[in-house]
Amino acid sequence: MTLARRLSQEEERRLLARLRAGDETALGELYDQVAPWILGLAYRILRDDDAAEEVVGDVFEHVWTRIGQHDPRRGPLIPWVLAIARHRALDLLRRQHRWERRAALAHPDPDDDGWVDPADGEASVPGWPVHEAVRAAVAALPDEQREVVRLAYFGGLSHSEIAAHTGTPLGTVKTRMRLAQRRLAEALQSLRDWVT
Amino acid sequence: MDWLGMAVRPRMPRPELKAAVLARAYAAGRRRAWWPLAAAAALVVALAAAGYAQWRVGVLRGERDRLAARAAALRDTLDFVRRPGSTVYHFPVVTAGKAGSITIFTDSQSRRWLVTCNGLTPNTPGEVYQIWFVTARGVRSALVMPMPDATPRIAAIGVPDAAVTGVMMTVEPDSGSTEPHGTVVFEQAL
Repeated sequence: MTLARRLSQEEERRLLARLRAGDETALGELYDQVAPWILGLAYRILRDDDAAEEVVGDVFEHVWTRIGQHDPRRGPLIPWVLAIARHRALDLLRRQHRWERRAALAHPDPDDDGWVDPADGEASVPGWPVHEAVRAAVAALPDEQREVVRLAYFGGLSHSEIAAHTGTPLGTVKTRMRLAQRRLAEALQSLRDWVT
Repeated sequence: MDWLGMAVRPRMPRPELKAAVLARAYAAGRRRAWWPLAAAAALVVALAAAGYAQWRVGVLRGERDRLAARAAALRDTLDFVRRPGSTVYHFPVVTAGKAGSITIFTDSQSRRWLVTCNGLTPNTPGEVYQIWFVTARGVRSALVMPMPDATPRIAAIGVPDAAVTGVMMTVEPDSGSTEPHGTVVFEQAL
């Protein structure tokens, strides 16, 4: 099994510069880097293959036509792309009036907790080391904090909705979210160093 | 939270998805690339239309003002004819063997004259026709009337305070004279 290396800072800078210059091959390279993650994220939110692929198309159209909106001072390219993917997926979820389903989706994914061995070829996906780091950081969160993060990030629920959904006071939800963000930031410090 | 999207397990896209996604993105990029040009073209067209409209409004305003001035002149001419104090004098004249006429509408209320000249021989270069008031205090210039062609002329002139007892027309040098020196076309007591 080949372990994929992650994109270095310099490579990302060069890729970004080429995207800004309208180099079409750069978009193809970005696709190779992040499409599996976008598709995974969109599928995690929507649970629908066709809709998830639609999100992938939306994301790359957005990136290609609005790459000028990305500000490198505010963060690296890949998280920006992932944020677009998450917002598109949640927007699609809302447009499709899948509120009931959204609540149902907010239940834990079997893969969300604990370590899962990579499936065949999965570890060769570019960015797999980052995935491992992020996954480990999330898994290390206390259950109640991980639950809040999961509902907010993948379910798109507001703090109030999370409070209502879990039967927890709103203040507690906010505190858990704040603590989780702090823990994740600490756990992913090395990633931050890498990406900034 | 920026990297949380990568906490999810990746899903390998169908091989054919890449071409479709990239083609869609490139097409959108090309459409987007045309927007500034289309917007610029629309702006140019709008500015040109606005410029043309402004020019056209200016032309129409000028035309309106010209017609209004002409209507006022015609109204003034009619007033000469129909006022109770109007008197009409008609003088047949002969210039260079050609028969013509001078018609004067006098208005005692507004103290103005309307003078029309028809059939006069056009002036030779350097000469003009000049009309004079004959008053108890002497002769005073009433109007310098160049006639470079045979087109009939019409003009309104103010009457001096002194009682006008007669009228005359002479041929004078180009800019007119202070006293009549040239050939007398006609002289008539009123």
